[in-house]
Amino acid sequence: MIPQNLLQNPLALTTQKCTLGCPILDRCLAGGVPCNSITELVAESGSGKTQLCLQLVLSAQLPTSLGGLAASSLYIHSEFPFPSRRLQQLSQSFRSSYSHVLDSEYNPLDFVLVRGVQSADQLFDVLLKMDSVLLRPPTQLPVRLIVIDSIAALFRGEFENTPFDLKRRSSLFFKISGKLKTLAERFGLAVVVTNQVVDFVGQAGGLNGLRIGNLGSLWSSGRRVCAALGLAWANCVNSRLFLSRNEEIVGEVTGLGGVGAGDTVSRLTRRHLHVIFAPHLPESSCEFVISREGVLGVDR
Amino acid sequence: MELARLPISASQRGKLISAGYTSLSSLSSLSPSTLAQDLKISDNEALEILRVVSQGSRLDKPDGSHAIVNGAQTAWDMLHEEESLKCITTSCVDLDDILGGGIKCKEVTEIGGVPGIGKTQLGIQLAVNVQIPVYYGGLGGKAIYIDTEGSFMLERALQIAKACIEDMSGNSDFLQKDFQSCQVKAQPKDFLQNIFYFRVCSYTEQIAMINYLDKFISEHKDVNVVIIDSVTFHFRQDFDDLALRTRLLSGMALKLMKLAKKFSLAVVLLNQVTTKHTEGSFQLTLALGDSWSHSCTNRVILYWNGDERYAYIDKSPSLRSASAPYSVTGKGIRTATSKCKRIKIM
Repeated sequence: MIPQNLLQNPLALTTQKCTLGCPILDRCLAGGVPCNSITELVAESGSGKTQLCLQLVLSAQLPTSLGGLAASSLYIHSEFPFPSRRLQQLSQSFRSSYSHVLDSEYNPLDFVLVRGVQSADQLFDVLLKMDSVLLRPPTQLPVRLIVIDSIAALFRGEFENTPFDLKRRSSLFFKISGKLKTLAERFGLAVVVTNQVVDFVGQAGGLNGLRIGNLGSLWSSGRRVCAALGLAWANCVNSRLFLSRNEEIVGEVTGLGGVGAGDTVSRLTRRHLHVIFAPHLPESSCEFVISREGVLGVDR
Repeated sequence: MELARLPISASQRGKLISAGYTSLSSLSSLSPSTLAQDLKISDNEALEILRVVSQGSRLDKPDGSHAIVNGAQTAWDMLHEEESLKCITTSCVDLDDILGGGIKCKEVTEIGGVPGIGKTQLGIQLAVNVQIPVYYGGLGGKAIYIDTEGSFMLERALQIAKACIEDMSGNSDFLQKDFQSCQVKAQPKDFLQNIFYFRVCSYTEQIAMINYLDKFISEHKDVNVVIIDSVTFHFRQDFDDLALRTRLLSGMALKLMKLAKKFSLAVVLLNQVTTKHTEGSFQLTLALGDSWSHSCTNRVILYWNGDERYAYIDKSPSLRSASAPYSVTGKGIRTATSKCKRIKIM
């Protein structure tokens, strides 16, 4: 066994990262999604996880000079149907933004491999067969990004709340995560996994507290939430990002019948990306919006 | 007694006895400079005396009356050794305090906590701090970092190394030594070169790695710390044969303890937490079960207390239970700067 040469690339002494397609978001994550590790996106439904993942499979195709991985991606989805129309929309705006680097014949959709799975065992089977796909990719570019959207959906239905089932579930987490990390290490992949939220019940802080990460409490849509799949899964990922969605009241118009009756209140949805924990990132957050062109950070 | 048989001068013998060295074994693990200080003689004289002593003790062995069991040490010798062992600082004053100076060599320390509490940060900090040169109070050694999860980030290690060098340069003004020799010429990249980084991807690789460590460290005697981040990850998968898992874990623990003692290095094991269902409530506990908890000399638990990070000594033969705050900054692990910080003795 030989120790890895940490200085093998003396000009680039950082882990390679895949850009998110937006410089403001990249700044929050010190470059983007890192390779050789698992990054988890935790959010309520409708917060933008899938949008961000679709954006990633496109930006991964960019050359390394622009922050991409010059690679194809594998998108494993567990929620049906796969949002192909939205991917097409995003790919069109991707092509127009990067027309100076891409061929006119280039179709970004040629470099996205999609696979649907319906159970955790099926996911594990797909991962076992991954070695051959990664060694001989069916696309011209090698596969260097794997997205699993979402991991929570695969585990929510099958397991009951008994200690036996929970133990079985958590050993499955470690098996899947172990396999993903082995693949990531062997092929230099970036792995992104999305997770859902559940309402937070319990105590945080103290020797028995379940606080995980930089934020004492996670809030989305006015509810206090925490990531699904519990402590065991939290131990399986390297970094966790939280996308929150909250409504803010931005204006009030008093109605005709005096104060209280017929008031209209304008609400604006504010979205934030927070770093919950990551070995290379300090606590930080960034606001973003979801538009036709994709997920874009906002500098406020 | 044996001292009488040594071919040393009467005045030397008199000095030895009045200083308290009445038998050969009390001199066996002494360094020349300590002896010279105690007897108020020159270093060379002390060296000469110790050489004679070691020859004398070799002649003693066939007698059988010198050592009770071959390889046994007296508690006095062990105390001497322990006092001369250095600790690896954690860069946090409070944490060093409750650890008795820092992470001790010749011991296995287990550090566990929830994700995001700073285990990997502490691991990288120790891998950098072990390299602090001797004239700055460090060990000037190298580190072995065994990464089982892929949490080691190159740029973070560089950041921490850079901050360590800056702190050292800042302190060199206070040292009253020859300024030239104190100039910190080290670059962050040099610090990376002294970290032997291994990535293991399965439990079999992990066990093979630990078996290989003996040979590796024999060839690299300047390694002073072995950090495993984390020791649990690969063992939390389904093991069809639980007895196998227990055997593997205890075998691993034994080997690590032997390594620590044999090469006088510190072994730091980072662990995860899990919930244990006891008496109707869920408690957080370190992973790998109760039998593993016997495998480490010291156990430190990292936890959140409000918005602050705290470390708690859960088990130690020589340290008292106490908790201390620390913080994770851009420079690495540092002392917490909250207003109402204090060390709580339990």
